Amino acid sequence: MLDHHSPVVGIDVGGTFTDFVYLDDNRLRIYKLLSTRADPSRALLDGLAALNVASDTVIAHGTTVATNAVLEHTGARVGLITTLGFRDLLAIGRQTRPSLYRLSFPPRWLPVPDELCHAVPERVAPDGRIITPLDETATETVLDQLIAGGAESLAVCLLFSFANPTHEQTIKRLAAARGLMVSLSSEILPEFREFERASTTVLNAYVSPLMARYLDALEGGIQRLDAGNWKPQAGRHRLWIMQSSGGILGAAAARREAVRTLLSGPAGGATGAFHVAALAGHERIITFDMGGTSTDVSLADGQIRRTTEGNIEGWPVRVPMIDIHTVGAGGGSIAWADAAGALRVGPQSAGSEPGPACYGRGGHHLTVTDANLLLGRLDAAHFLAGRMTLDIAAAEDAAASLAATLGLTPIALAEGVIRVANAHMEQAIRVISIERGFDPRQFTLVPFGGAGPMHALDLAEALHIGQVLIPRTPGVLSALGLALADFTVDRSRTLMWPLAETTPRALEQALLPLLADTRAATLAEGFAEGALQLTWALDLRYRGQSFELTVPMETCDPAAAAQRFHQAHERRYGYARPDAPVELVTIRVTATGVRPKPAFPRPAPAASADPRPAQVGQTRLAAGGAWLAAPIYERSLLAPGHILHGPALIVQEDATTVLIPGWHAQVDPWLNLLCRPNRN
Amino acid sequence: MAESALPTESELNDCNRMNAMNHDPVLLEIMKSLLSAVAEEMGATLGRTAYSPNIKERRDFSCAVFDPVGQLVAQASHIPVHLGAMPLSVSAALERFGRLDVGDIVVLNDPYFGGSHLPDITMISPVYADALLGYVASRAHHADVGGMAPGSMPLATELYQEGLIIPPVKLQSAGRLNEGVLDLITRNSRTPAERHGDLAAQIAAQRIGERRLRELADRYSADVLADYMGHLCRYGEQLTITLIRRIPPGRFGFNDYLDDDGYTNHDLRIAATVEARDDQLWIDFTGTAPETIGSVNAVRSVTLSAVFYVVRCLLKDDSAPTNAGIFRPVRVTLPEGMLVNARFPRAVAAGNVETSQRIVDVLLGAFAQALPELVPAASQGTMNNLLIGGVDPRTGERFAYYETIGGGMGAAPDAAGLSGVHVHMTNTLNTPVEAIEYAYPLRVTRYELRRGSGGAGIHRGGDGLYREIEVLADATVTILSERRRHAPYGLAGGAAGAPGQNWRLEAPRTGDPLPSPALPLPGKTTFATTAGERIGIATPGGGGWGTPPAG
Repeated sequence: MLDHHSPVVGIDVGGTFTDFVYLDDNRLRIYKLLSTRADPSRALLDGLAALNVASDTVIAHGTTVATNAVLEHTGARVGLITTLGFRDLLAIGRQTRPSLYRLSFPPRWLPVPDELCHAVPERVAPDGRIITPLDETATETVLDQLIAGGAESLAVCLLFSFANPTHEQTIKRLAAARGLMVSLSSEILPEFREFERASTTVLNAYVSPLMARYLDALEGGIQRLDAGNWKPQAGRHRLWIMQSSGGILGAAAARREAVRTLLSGPAGGATGAFHVAALAGHERIITFDMGGTSTDVSLADGQIRRTTEGNIEGWPVRVPMIDIHTVGAGGGSIAWADAAGALRVGPQSAGSEPGPACYGRGGHHLTVTDANLLLGRLDAAHFLAGRMTLDIAAAEDAAASLAATLGLTPIALAEGVIRVANAHMEQAIRVISIERGFDPRQFTLVPFGGAGPMHALDLAEALHIGQVLIPRTPGVLSALGLALADFTVDRSRTLMWPLAETTPRALEQALLPLLADTRAATLAEGFAEGALQLTWALDLRYRGQSFELTVPMETCDPAAAAQRFHQAHERRYGYARPDAPVELVTIRVTATGVRPKPAFPRPAPAASADPRPAQVGQTRLAAGGAWLAAPIYERSLLAPGHILHGPALIVQEDATTVLIPGWHAQVDPWLNLLCRPNRN
Repeated sequence: MAESALPTESELNDCNRMNAMNHDPVLLEIMKSLLSAVAEEMGATLGRTAYSPNIKERRDFSCAVFDPVGQLVAQASHIPVHLGAMPLSVSAALERFGRLDVGDIVVLNDPYFGGSHLPDITMISPVYADALLGYVASRAHHADVGGMAPGSMPLATELYQEGLIIPPVKLQSAGRLNEGVLDLITRNSRTPAERHGDLAAQIAAQRIGERRLRELADRYSADVLADYMGHLCRYGEQLTITLIRRIPPGRFGFNDYLDDDGYTNHDLRIAATVEARDDQLWIDFTGTAPETIGSVNAVRSVTLSAVFYVVRCLLKDDSAPTNAGIFRPVRVTLPEGMLVNARFPRAVAAGNVETSQRIVDVLLGAFAQALPELVPAASQGTMNNLLIGGVDPRTGERFAYYETIGGGMGAAPDAAGLSGVHVHMTNTLNTPVEAIEYAYPLRVTRYELRRGSGGAGIHRGGDGLYREIEVLADATVTILSERRRHAPYGLAGGAAGAPGQNWRLEAPRTGDPLPSPALPLPGKTTFATTAGERIGIATPGGGGWGTPPAG
């Protein structure tokens, strides 16, 4: 049974570093290793060994094994079986082209090769009635063809299978007898809208074999470690995997439902930011994770917001994910002049190879990181604690030619690059806040990632955000989020019932199996009854609408559901139609295994507000065309109560904070920097 | 990813000339982003708060920002067919009222006075700080505005039959909503509650647009805002001039045909020539067939939308601004009374959805001779409008199903055409099969690629689609489709795509997924069916590009 004393290690495998956050008895240890791209589990096992974790440690792991398989098209060879007449279900999709004003497109990548898309005679009606029975002989022929064609994994998506899964289950039985790994749409996503269900099911079939192999290897490695310096008793150590939803999943379930991890990359960071901010008393936050090639933003309004509208490589993934908006602007984004003389930044990126010009790895284009360096916003001497030197001359060279083209001085150009990049990121924050109906001025901005704290205050100023919280460990927030995340199991099913004709008993009969299933899955991971939370909700709409609103429920009372739906509709859209018929579209259940949240240590406050003891140098920052003298502070020397005034640079191993003129920062009791404009 | 060719020497000269215009290339890019954010945010508000699936799910709407003299400075990219039409809405409002005051909202849908076809309702409002900052406008396709058939897109012969005509009128005066105008519009619709919800959503979008534009003026000052609206248009103009300078001297002409107008069965010619001269692009539609009795007539604004769409595509720059400057160097000759500049009171519903597609095909055919490296072969060139209405035996209530069906995209010099997608002037989503069968007494029996329908070539044209639907009730079916006789052309030796076909099957046959068409149907038709019949539509393939390899 898990209790408050189970130690946990959060492990985030990034492109450059593998980060570890180890929590044991409220002690927090941080560890960083270079990632081992060819076999990501190597760095992970090395780190576990180095940290010498306790024998009953929970290993909470964020992995992009599934994500990379989709992005790099290296997943399993998948076969698809659909209903006769619909074999091109995937290829047709929603019938749209990816961009309005383009006259040609590269061919669309399909996760199933055309020759492995098959259809079998069968038909189920919307109410679950069988119109045409499954032709089992034809199905066996198709399965033999698929195996002859080299299929390793099978996805099955028949029309209305969520209303009656009999035919899909028969196909599973026939396929399993032939040794195929099978993903059924009626199990992965028993919801209506056949293309989105098929896409989610196919992606699961595409990544699950790889995930299974990866986790087998990882668990094997962990067991070999056991023979060395730590010896977990059988069943005591647990391997948990981060889902896109921000909740953790057991390794066995992750093997079967790897699709739930596909968009989990940014989930750890958002979760970590939420917990760090909540602990410091900030419940309404906008997270801002700026990396090398892209920037992820999300919004939490007392809780992390989720959606099922995710997609990857253009393919819908309809399982829960944190509502994160990503823009292709990051530290590596390249600046250029277009044909009519405007300065553009991105979407091309120098990535991490060759990287910005100043990395000295052969990059010749001016990037956002180079511009930061030229403006003094990044200190060459303190970058990655001196583990990497930055080549200012290379950045200057990259700036010189572009500056000449645009008729700007190199410094004006560099400032321009930052402003244009910030405009892109400002737009990303607008999308996640204003376009979702939230006023960003009522939120605290929480930047992280290597570059987030360099840009956050400029963005806050542009958006009139009055508070920016820079976490103590912006570079390992993702690993911290993994260590703190709750365990969740999500299940859903489309019902499509007229709500007025739904009895409490019918609702209860639909709910009970989902509750039992999610509850059992959570208890099986070692959670006590007291740590288990069961929540459920209904997706409802007025008949004729094509979008649903999700309404949380406590009792099986259809009348109360209708009442709540009218209110929710009024709140969201400004009107309700209490006389119009309501449809009960889908029922959703989430079981949460609540994890203990450690109280982080609160170090002794500073003797005075004067931060001079933490000053390690002096630099100059360009702002508004002028150079300003700015002190450099070392983050690890700051103590609660210190107050810093901009302009200043705060350096630490994995991030640099730019405190702009007109702003000040106070070190809070948890060593976060709480930044505010002076005028407030 | 945007194309990012390194600038040529002449382009660099253009840059230097631009910089001599005394603006900051950094602020220019930022203003471009912020002004388009105003339009995008209006669109997000409209999409979020609208009631009807057509607006919410299919995203059939557009929002835009204009400068104080009514020039387009930013438009959210939703529906190309609205491109050229939005500026004419603003000019119509100004022509009617002279000036608009604080708190006014003008509404209109008159195709002959600022509109495109009747279901598209446009709102325009001025934005003031101390002085006039500009205008914001929104346009949405409303599912029903009255007329002789549900959906307001009947086989009509005059505009009056197509629905309620709204000339520019004030829906709101000095901040006060004119309830009478609202009542008049909703009372003329078969779905008044839905109209009310959608109009309310458009008003909400207008308010957001007004507020955001005022915030930009607060942040940068009204003068800087006005300056950069001008700079951005000159910047857009420069992008188009760069394109124009790539066009070799000479007049490049092309013709293509509409199959028919739904009443008479003869070809309707559309002709255009393009010529680059003195940094301007001259486009002349002389030689096009006269306006006609059916509803395939395009009003001026629809034709301009097609022209602007083509120019916008040829820029090959996803992040180029969509503003008046882009279109400033374009000169269009459009004699009155032609199919592409119809006169009141001709019917126009299909002009917007079908003729607009053919105008694009003709323009691209002309540009293919001038800029062969940029232009693809013809795409399916139709939206395959299918309407089925009747009484649902399950509920006893009336139902009206409307959908458009994708087809093959033309192959380009650098890529094969996509299969089974909407092309050019539209990009709306399909309705899921499972959603259709829940909502209507219909059973979709086939929805597959029409393999081999794309034209052969070095790059193949995209394939069309098969859609076959069993109608489970007695019903009335209307089909509005094109490219059933005149195939989408290939280019550079590529073969034409297969034309589309429509058919009906009187008795459903079980077990055979590929029934041969039993009774061929014309491209534009209305007829009654009995329960159990199937309607089949095969949509056109796209043209191929390049002489196909032998063997």
